[in-house]
Amino acid sequence: MIRISSRTLGLALLAATALGVAQANAQQTIRVGWTIPAEESKYWMMRRPDQFPAIGKDYKIEWVQFQGTAPMVQAMAAGALDCSTQGVLSMAQGAIQANLETYIVAQHVGERPGSFSVYWAVKEDSPIKTIADLKGKSVGTNVFGSGILGPMFLLLKKHGVDPQKDIKLVETGFPPSEDAIRQGRVDAGVLVQPFAARAEGKGGLRKLFALADQQQNIVHIMDVCRKDFVDKNPELTRRYVKDLTAGMGKALADRAETLKVVSEVIKAPVPVLDTFLLKPNDFAREPGAAPNFAAIQAMLDIYTETGMISKKLDAAKFKHPSIVAPIQ
Amino acid sequence: MTRLPGIPGLAPLVAFAGLLAGWEVAARGIGIDGLPPASRALAEVPGILADPESLINIGASLYRMALGFALGVAVAVPVGLMMGRSRHVAAFFNPLLMVIYPVPKAALMPIIMLWLGVGDASKTLVIFLGVSLPVVYHSYQGGRAVEEKMLWSAAAMGMGAPARLLRIVLPAALPEILVGCRTGLVLALITMVTSEMIARQSGVGNILFNSLDMAQYDTVYAMIVIIGVLGLALDAAFERLRAALVGWAEPSQALMVGTT
Repeated sequence: MIRISSRTLGLALLAATALGVAQANAQQTIRVGWTIPAEESKYWMMRRPDQFPAIGKDYKIEWVQFQGTAPMVQAMAAGALDCSTQGVLSMAQGAIQANLETYIVAQHVGERPGSFSVYWAVKEDSPIKTIADLKGKSVGTNVFGSGILGPMFLLLKKHGVDPQKDIKLVETGFPPSEDAIRQGRVDAGVLVQPFAARAEGKGGLRKLFALADQQQNIVHIMDVCRKDFVDKNPELTRRYVKDLTAGMGKALADRAETLKVVSEVIKAPVPVLDTFLLKPNDFAREPGAAPNFAAIQAMLDIYTETGMISKKLDAAKFKHPSIVAPIQ
Repeated sequence: MTRLPGIPGLAPLVAFAGLLAGWEVAARGIGIDGLPPASRALAEVPGILADPESLINIGASLYRMALGFALGVAVAVPVGLMMGRSRHVAAFFNPLLMVIYPVPKAALMPIIMLWLGVGDASKTLVIFLGVSLPVVYHSYQGGRAVEEKMLWSAAAMGMGAPARLLRIVLPAALPEILVGCRTGLVLALITMVTSEMIARQSGVGNILFNSLDMAQYDTVYAMIVIIGVLGLALDAAFERLRAALVGWAEPSQALMVGTT
């Protein structure tokens, strides 16, 4: 018979307690996926952590940079990330295809009346004058299956152009899009900031249509967290969202410092960023990083209508009762 | 016919200068943002190398590369030698290698990320896979080519199988193994970069892919130049090591990277 002395039992209990404490401490790290550009609140948290008293004290953030939002869906589904940047479409596809349950906790950038809106441009001397003229032409996109294609497809349909049959969609990516238009590799190409500001500065291109022509208040980038992680670590997530809120506040309040912060992160010179960042020709940012759930619902509906997602989704199901920006 | 004077290193220098001149002329002729002239890209190099953060990123990538390379060699050499000396081992591993060899290792990254997460482990594994296959192949060939008579003599003198592998097969196969290591080194550099394409916390990808995303093409090409020079330097250093270890086996001029 195996006998366990009280001393051995005490040591074991002590070890178990220590292990429990260690695990509790380990839980105070949140693994966050990010990408570039347009996540100023996160860039502030990364590069100016001293401005966020809780970071490094109450909790830690393990930052992982990704090339686009789609791999972040995979990483979240695999449990390798707790929170990440998502577009409405990638989040919806993750929910439908990978059963990835998430909460939208903040919004980074979107569009609103008067702000920058993603647009398609042609050469100044192009015979393409209207959307209807795109029939039989090649049209650029950042990536096949991109979230911007939902509203764009609807707009084309409204003008009698079937996006599946009447145009040849070409994947150019955002950065080379301007070159693709100028060299005639596409008849119309998509422009976002900062490439739109640069192209406009050079001249020779003409805006054909923008997403805002189809609908207002498009949501481009949000922050989402895994539901199981939030349910298990509500306080940790709350602190993170509180800092996202504060980060957005700092980004909007101090443009000069934001230019430096963004330049450090994305390695683009300040003069380049100064042409658009946080100016009227930039995307819109909601004060406090508050997600616009009505606009998100409108986008989900568009993706269902255009067949980009296979079933209707309810934006309200992605909203936590209390853990959502702004958290002061 | 005029011959280039026999100055060591002159031929590669002339080739490099020709490449830069061709690049400069082509870029100025084509005139697109996506292809800046060589002079503009090279002007970015000192700035990158003087930035401590960039050096930390390059160091982080090199650390993973060194780790992946060391692990790859440590595993691949014994496996390859055993394949070379045992038909059964070769029959076991050959089909596996045939399947894995043509798969682009970077394409495995999303799957490996699911197993090992998004940290250093997944990137190191991709480098390990890239390195190990050529090293296995060359070790296998080296092991097969060992003179049977030497092994018989050793066995007749009472040397056991593990000792024969270590003291006869390994030294005899070393020239071929080092050819595999040289190819593996270049592949380690390639997979080091591609492993950072999807997800990263630090590394050359932070400079290269961020610049690409922001259309900072001068920086993109400057990083490509830095990586290229790094590859040349590593290859030259390895070649010196190889010559010192097995210079007796064959002239170094017979080796060309990418031909193995």
